[in-house]
Amino acid sequence: MDIRDLRSQIEKIDTLPTIPGVLRKLLAVIERPKVSISEIGGFISNDPVLTSRVLKVVNSPIYGFPGRISSLNQALILLGLNVVRGMLLGVSVFEAMQKTMIGLWEHSLGCAIASRIIAKRKGVKEPEEVSVAALLHDIGKVVLGLKFPEEYRQIMTDAENEGNFIFESEKKILNINHADAGGWIAKKWNFPMNLVEPIEYHHKPHLSRMVPMQTAIVHFADILTRAKGFGFAGDYFVPAVHPSVWQLLDLSEDDLKEIVSEFEDALGQAGDFMFSDE
Amino acid sequence: MKKVSVETLKPGVKLAKPVINDSGMIIIGEGTVLSDVHIERLHNMSINTVFIEGTAGPAKSKDELLAELDARFKKTGEEPYMPILKRILREQIEGMSV
Repeated sequence: MDIRDLRSQIEKIDTLPTIPGVLRKLLAVIERPKVSISEIGGFISNDPVLTSRVLKVVNSPIYGFPGRISSLNQALILLGLNVVRGMLLGVSVFEAMQKTMIGLWEHSLGCAIASRIIAKRKGVKEPEEVSVAALLHDIGKVVLGLKFPEEYRQIMTDAENEGNFIFESEKKILNINHADAGGWIAKKWNFPMNLVEPIEYHHKPHLSRMVPMQTAIVHFADILTRAKGFGFAGDYFVPAVHPSVWQLLDLSEDDLKEIVSEFEDALGQAGDFMFSDE
Repeated sequence: MKKVSVETLKPGVKLAKPVINDSGMIIIGEGTVLSDVHIERLHNMSINTVFIEGTAGPAKSKDELLAELDARFKKTGEEPYMPILKRILREQIEGMSV
């Protein structure tokens, strides 16, 4: 299929009959460029499952807020519009993630945690925005899995049998990879650039123009989460760190050791974070 | 979620994924708390494994963890900077109290 055809098909994902109802309703709200935080708050509070998930995520090791946040309003104020929009999308695609690839939710969660740890260490101003970009960095896999279920199963089998990285098998079978698909859909959904670029360029971090630091962090967090063996992202291998990221992050060996150890502790608390008690 | 053999299933565990037969029909829905009758049916239909809620089984030994680490770095372990990352992770596994 021609790349332009693929892109326009993927951009029409919200019309798919298989898309979960809550996600369809949510997209109608968050796609609007001028949506206000109180409209989003209203949307969430009408749905008890969504409310409980938002509060779980807010209180999870992804953000590492001290103390417990028990009200939705407090969460919205703490996190801000962009983070809430992205996080809502993350918790709404949870089922689709599980369906596409068992372990993808854990992988995404791991990346979000690692990103927060690295972003804080690098003094990034809005570490929560980097976390949410990491939570969504593989949204393209969900989009491809929903849009092309048969091809995506074939891709996963190919990655497994050939010992490929998943993005290599995606490229081979669909002629695009999940980062391309994720970037298109994030732009279509009017996501801000600090979400779009980490999603689009997490495998080509040197191409990020607007938010190179955030993209570098998500790239490295992805590698770290795979290196720890937490979750499953479609293949069993750790991709190489891009040299530009190594330079930009400029982490000493001691920094790395501390990051790895902090990550280990946070993952321990995240173990049962699966929305399992709904 | 974890994958378990039907042989080891006990009543009261919750399905993390639906059980689907060869023709793609859902036999038991996701989230179902399994009863004796469910488990009996799974046996009769010669379904071997199901996904149930809960985290991974028994902890792995350090040797297993180190072997898995090697396997994950198989494709890129020699690339620039990767040996540093791998060494830090290896030291962390070796330093774990098991």
